[in-house]
Amino acid sequence: MNDDDLQRELVSLPIKYLHQLAKGRIHRHFRLGKRRLIDCILALPSAQKMAIANDLQQISSVPKKSTTGSNRAQPHSPFYPQPSSPKKSHTSESTSPPIVLQDLLEGIGVPEPTAFIPDNWQREAVEAIAQSDVIVSAPTGSGKTFVATEAIKQAMASKQTVIYTSPLKALSNTKYMEFSEYFGKDTVGILTGDRRDNAQAPLLIMTTEILRNILYDATSGDLDLRLHTLGLVILDESQYLADPERGVVWEETLILCPTETRLLLLSASIGNPQELAEWLTSIRPNTSCHLIRHTKRSVPLRSLYLHPTGQLVPLLENRDIQQRKGYRFHPETKRLFNEYEFKPYH
Amino acid sequence: MPPAIHPIDLVDILRRHRLTPAIIFLTSRRGCDEAIDTFIHSTAGVSATRSKDIRVFLEQFAKDFPSIENHPLIPVVQDYGVAAHHAGHLPSWKMAIEELMRQGLLDAVFATTTLAAGVDFPARTVVISQSSVRKSQDFSDLTVSEIQQLAGRGGRRGKDFVGFVVVTPSPYIDLHVLGKGLTGQPESIDSQFVVSYPMVLNLLKAHTLDQIEGLLAKSFAQFQLNQRAAIHQERLNELHEQLKPYGPRECADWVAQWKVFDLARRRKAHRRPVVNTDSPYLTACLPFLTPGRLIGLAKGPAIILRQYRSRGTGTPMLSVLHTKGTIGECQAQRVMHIYDHVYEFHPIRTLPWCPPSTLHHFKQVLSQLPSRLPTVPIFEASQEADDPLLTEILTDQFACPTCPSHAACKKDFTSASRLQLKAQQVSKTIQALLDGLWHQFQRKADVLHKFGYLTANLQLTDEGEWGRLIRINHSLLITELIRMDAFSGMAPELLAGVMASIAHDDDRPSNYMRLTPGLASMLTQVRQVADSLSLYEPAPLLRSDVAAIAERWIGQTELSWTSLVRSTSMAEGDVYRLLARTLEFLSQIYGLKGTHPSLADTAHQAMVNMRREVLAELP
Repeated sequence: MNDDDLQRELVSLPIKYLHQLAKGRIHRHFRLGKRRLIDCILALPSAQKMAIANDLQQISSVPKKSTTGSNRAQPHSPFYPQPSSPKKSHTSESTSPPIVLQDLLEGIGVPEPTAFIPDNWQREAVEAIAQSDVIVSAPTGSGKTFVATEAIKQAMASKQTVIYTSPLKALSNTKYMEFSEYFGKDTVGILTGDRRDNAQAPLLIMTTEILRNILYDATSGDLDLRLHTLGLVILDESQYLADPERGVVWEETLILCPTETRLLLLSASIGNPQELAEWLTSIRPNTSCHLIRHTKRSVPLRSLYLHPTGQLVPLLENRDIQQRKGYRFHPETKRLFNEYEFKPYH
Repeated sequence: MPPAIHPIDLVDILRRHRLTPAIIFLTSRRGCDEAIDTFIHSTAGVSATRSKDIRVFLEQFAKDFPSIENHPLIPVVQDYGVAAHHAGHLPSWKMAIEELMRQGLLDAVFATTTLAAGVDFPARTVVISQSSVRKSQDFSDLTVSEIQQLAGRGGRRGKDFVGFVVVTPSPYIDLHVLGKGLTGQPESIDSQFVVSYPMVLNLLKAHTLDQIEGLLAKSFAQFQLNQRAAIHQERLNELHEQLKPYGPRECADWVAQWKVFDLARRRKAHRRPVVNTDSPYLTACLPFLTPGRLIGLAKGPAIILRQYRSRGTGTPMLSVLHTKGTIGECQAQRVMHIYDHVYEFHPIRTLPWCPPSTLHHFKQVLSQLPSRLPTVPIFEASQEADDPLLTEILTDQFACPTCPSHAACKKDFTSASRLQLKAQQVSKTIQALLDGLWHQFQRKADVLHKFGYLTANLQLTDEGEWGRLIRINHSLLITELIRMDAFSGMAPELLAGVMASIAHDDDRPSNYMRLTPGLASMLTQVRQVADSLSLYEPAPLLRSDVAAIAERWIGQTELSWTSLVRSTSMAEGDVYRLLARTLEFLSQIYGLKGTHPSLADTAHQAMVNMRREVLAELP
C-alpha cells in the first residue's frame, strides 16, 4: 500500500479509528485534528506505516462489508425514467437496518374518534378573548379554528357582529363553507369586492382589504355597515403583516379598528409574537393584548430521509422533531446523502 | 428540479409504509403536472371501491361547481388516487382536491410550495424535496417559517397519532437548511408599512394632520422604528458620556473652533510647491532653456531640441544638438552659457526632435557660429517667506495659537472630533427613524397636491373626493386616466382589457394574442401616461396579451371558458386569477357611480359580462 492509498483510506475513516491507530505511535495524538493526524501518520517511518496499513485493513473490514453488500442491491444507473418494480426495492430494504425504522414508524394509525377536548391554551385563549384582545401564535393545524369558532359563539350570544378576515379569497371561500355548515347558512355572510351575500348576517367573512375599506368609509362618515355593533374582528393568518406588498393593509386595519371591538389575531408560529402584543397594547388604550403562544404540536412530527434508491432511514437522531434544540442528522442519512451528492441519481 | 426518486416509486414506498395520505411539495407547477402524468398507464392504482368513492364525490361536487365536470385530470385522480394542486388550477378544482384530501380518499397530492401559505389541508405525511424556492428572479433558501408551514401540514389532529416529514433529495438540495428549518425558531416578522396615495387621501378625508401624525405613530412600523431608535438613543447617550471630559474650554465649542483652525493651517501648508529640489539659479534658468535656444556647454555651443524632466529624480534635462552634429542628452545644470539667440523650428515628439531639414539647417548654423555671442542675464528670485504673513492672519482670526489650552486641544482633537461626528450621525439616524413615516406621508401628499387631488392646505378637492375611492395598486394611474376622460364612451370589453393589463403584475410569460386596433391604441396611450407618471408611481407591466384575454372574455359573451383557455398558453388558474383581479379593479371603478355615472355603468356592464361560467361559481 503506497502513501496515496493509505491517505485515501485514512481520510475516509472516522477520527475515532485514527486515534486508535495513532495510539502509542504518535505523541499526544489526542490533541491533533484529523488532517494533522493523517499528516503525522504519513510522516512515520515506513516500517510503522506498514503496521498501520495492517491495522487499517482489520478496522475497515467490518463496516466495509455492509456497504458493498447494499451497493450490490442498489442500482447506480439513472433511475428516473423507469420506475423499479416494487419487488426490487423490497430486497434493498431488507438489507437496510430494520431496527431504526421500526421504532420510528410505530404508532402510525388512526386514533379512535373521541369527544373533542380543547387544550389548555385553547381554553385560555377563549377565556381571554372575553376581556381583552388576543394574539394566538401556534403551529399550523394545532386548532386555531377552534378558538375562532368559540370566540364567534361568545360574540354572537351577546348579539354582536363578528368579522372574520383572511388574506386570500380562496381561504375566505373555504371558511364561508365551513362556517355556513357550523353556524347555519343564515348567520354567515361573505363580502367581496363586487358581491355581498347575506351582508346583514351577524358573522361576515371577507378579505382584509375589504375590511380596511369598510373602516376607511366608516371613519370618513359614510358608514355602510353596523360598525357600532361590531364586537369582534378575527384576523386569520396575521403573519401576513410582514407581507412586502399587502402587509400594510393589516396594519391599517389594526390601527383603524374601533377601540371597543375585540381583536383576535390568529397567526402561524412567528419569532416575535411578544413584540406584536406589546404593539397592540400600546396603540389600543382601553385593553391590553393577551398573547397565547403555543409551540408544541398537537400531533408529534417525525422525520425521515428517503434515498433515491428507495431506502427509508431516519433523518434526525431524535425520534420526534423538537423545536429550538438544534439538530443532528442520523449517521445513515449523512452517509446516504454524501453518496447522493457524490453521484446524484438523475 | 424534480426529486431524484421517481414519483411512482415515491408514492409506492409511502403506501407500503402506511405513510399516506401525503402532500409532496415540488418546486414548479410543471414538476407537479409531470409527476401526475407518469402515473398514467402505471400499475400503481387504487382499489375499485376507493375509485368509486372518488367518482361519486367528484360527481356530487360537480353539481355545485360545473367547471370541474370534464376536468382532464379526473381519470388520473380516480384511478390512482393522486392529484396535483397548484396555482395553475381553477379554484373549484383545488377545492375539490382539498375536500377529497380531507375525506382521506387521496393518497398523494403533488403541490407547489405556494400552497403552504394558502389553503390548509393536512395529511399524515409531508414530503419535502427542495431547500430553496424561486422568488421573483432568483432562488433563495426556504426560511424557517416557510419550512415549518410546509412541515406543519403533516399529522392530522384527531386522525393521526403521529405525522411525518420525509425529506428526499433533488439536485441542489441543502439538507442543513431543512434541518435548521424543522427544528429552529421561526423568523421575526417586520412591518412592511408604506404610505400609498389612497391611504393619504382617505386619512385626510376623515382626520386632521395632527390626528394623522398620531395614526402613523400608532403603526407597527413606527413601533419597530422606535425600538431601533431607542437602541440608537442608548448609543448616543454613551457617546455623550464619553464626550463629557472634552467639555467647554477657553471657547465653548472648542472642537469646531480647532477644526476650522486646523483646516486653515493645512491650507496654508499646501501653498508650498510639493517637491522642488532645483536650486534657485536653475529655477531662474529654466524658462530660458526652451527648444531652439543656443547654449554653451563644456564641449562647446549647442542648440536645445527639447526640455524634459528625468523620469526618476525629476532633474531638468535637455536634448541638444552638439557642434559635431550628434544629438545628446545633458542635465540642465551643466549649461554654462545661455546665449541670447533662439532659432524657430517646429518640434516633433520623436527622436530627432525636429524635422530632418531643420536638423541639417542647425548643423550648418552651428558650424558657422561666431566666437563671441551675447548671453542672457539671469536674475535669481529671492525666496519669498510667506509663512509669517499667514501665521499673522491666522492669529487675527483664531485665538488658538496663543490660547492657553492650545496643547490640550491639539492632543484631544482627533478623539473628540471622532466622537462628536459619531454623535451627530447617530442623532441624525434617530431623527430619520422617528420622522421617516411622516415625511413619507408628506411627500405623497405633495405629489397629490401637485396633481390637484389636494388643496394647498391639504384639503381634498373634488377630484380627491372620488379619487380616494380607488384603493388599489396603480391608483394614481387609474385616477389620472379617468380625469383625462380616457375611458369616456368606451366599450365595456375595452375598459376591462385596459384594467386587466394594469391589474396583472405577474411576468409569467404567455403567447401573443391578436389585439383589436382599439385596444392596441388604447394600451399605447395608457403606457404613455404610465411612463409620464413613473416618477411618482412605478408603472405597471401593461401586458397586451392579458388585455386581449380579458377583452375577449367580456366582449364575446357566447365564448366558453374552455375555448378561452385554449386560445392562450396561460394556465387555467392564472386566467381565472387575472379575471378575478380585473373584476376587483372594475368594481372599484363601479364605486365611482356618484361622480362618473356613465363610466360606472360601463364598468358594471363589464362586470356582468364577466361573471359567467367559472367566474360565477364562487363569490
